[in-house]
Amino acid sequence: MTLRASGLGRRFGKHWALARVDLEVAAGEVVLLAGANGSGKTTLLRLVAGLVRPTKGTVSICGIDPQRQPLESRRKLSMISHQAYLYPRLTALETTRIWARLLGLPASDVDLLPMLEEVGLGGRHNESVAGFSAGMKKRLAFIRTRLEKPRLVLLDEPFSALDAAGRRMVEGWIDGFRRSGTSVLLASHTLARAARLADRGILLQQGQVAWRGKAEEVAARLEAASA
Amino acid sequence: MSTLHPGAAPATTTAATSGAPAPDDPAARSTTSFFATMLTQTLIVLRKDLLLEWRSRSRLVSVVLFGVVTLLLFSFAVGPDVRALREGTAGFLVLALLLSSTLGLAESFRLEQEQDAVEGLLLLPIEPVALFYGKALGNTIFLSLLAPILIPVALVLYSVEPAWSDFLRLFGLWLLTAAGLSAPGTLYSAMTSQLRSQDVLLPLLLFPLVVPVLLGAVKALDLVLTGDAMGQLGSWTIMLLAFNLIYWSLCGIVFPRAIEAS
Repeated sequence: MTLRASGLGRRFGKHWALARVDLEVAAGEVVLLAGANGSGKTTLLRLVAGLVRPTKGTVSICGIDPQRQPLESRRKLSMISHQAYLYPRLTALETTRIWARLLGLPASDVDLLPMLEEVGLGGRHNESVAGFSAGMKKRLAFIRTRLEKPRLVLLDEPFSALDAAGRRMVEGWIDGFRRSGTSVLLASHTLARAARLADRGILLQQGQVAWRGKAEEVAARLEAASA
Repeated sequence: MSTLHPGAAPATTTAATSGAPAPDDPAARSTTSFFATMLTQTLIVLRKDLLLEWRSRSRLVSVVLFGVVTLLLFSFAVGPDVRALREGTAGFLVLALLLSSTLGLAESFRLEQEQDAVEGLLLLPIEPVALFYGKALGNTIFLSLLAPILIPVALVLYSVEPAWSDFLRLFGLWLLTAAGLSAPGTLYSAMTSQLRSQDVLLPLLLFPLVVPVLLGAVKALDLVLTGDAMGQLGSWTIMLLAFNLIYWSLCGIVFPRAIEAS
């Protein structure tokens, strides 16, 4: 099992953002996390990534506890969040080079330019990130998933800010992850598109799992739940 | 598609490229690998910070101007009493550095908060200690860059004429003082970076902690500028070195706890 969360809960002050969540994601499985704003999707992803410490419960990624062995667990996962994790004053190539070097990977132009080409930033690799649109920043952020070669990819609203070509590109990658045995935990409000890619869906409501089942049914369930 | 290879952990790569023979003992090999990885990552973070600083240069300009204005104000406050100015030069210089440092240190982690870049770094398998040492070294270099401007300005304003041979000592002591302020400053800057009241909190936390460094620096600089008849400079320099060692070790140990998952 790539991801196993058991009795996972996180409290902020008196408010439980997430409570008693059990979750298992097998190798190569794509799981859609759905829910209204504030339902706990992002908190769940951040708990899995080890960015937030659980108040209750445990998480393991490929058998590794992110709290006890943060470096080992981070070698197994990649996360794309709302924020692009970029330095506006650096160029796309410089940003990618820093990531590659920190990962201990080759970081010459020859190694990195094809990746920037792949995300559609080939001709603009020497431009400052500050001048990039939100979609271009998102494309650049996605390079992390290409560099890290993770076992688990956490995607928080991966289609937001992307144009049609960008969305197709991300769809292709998610498909590629599945084929290569990489698991994906995908939180999105673009349910129709995300459901096409996911093997199953989980509906979160007020921090708890309200429903589990086929990804195609998530939208209807969410609508019923919010009615 | 990418040509990069999966699973290339930093430790392995660094050890492989360092050229150093791997010790037979697995524990020793692990320790060597840890330090090699940490050093590599520290240098990457340092290089990134220096590049970011070079790109904007606004922080350096504002901090230098702030330091010069501070020295000017001391000069006006004391008035035309040249003897008093000379006697206070070391203190004025250290105060100018201290006040300028809060301006610069607070800004160092703000860069990381833009677009949650620091979170992006922490999602990579990077040693948090390397992040600390990279940023603290960057801040030390940044504060050291004030020396070639503030020291000559102070010497001219306060009519102090040290021997040419003393300039090297002055810069050396400045470097030690900058390092002594940078280690705790970087730690507190990280701890307060997400708070709205950072500008108030940072000096409140930092100033009491760095009192020994300030005392040592004022005394040592004064001995260089006004003469060291009793041969005390060595002792004060050793004290500065000792506090640097303590700060750089302790802050390195505490930093991962300060930025770990909340």
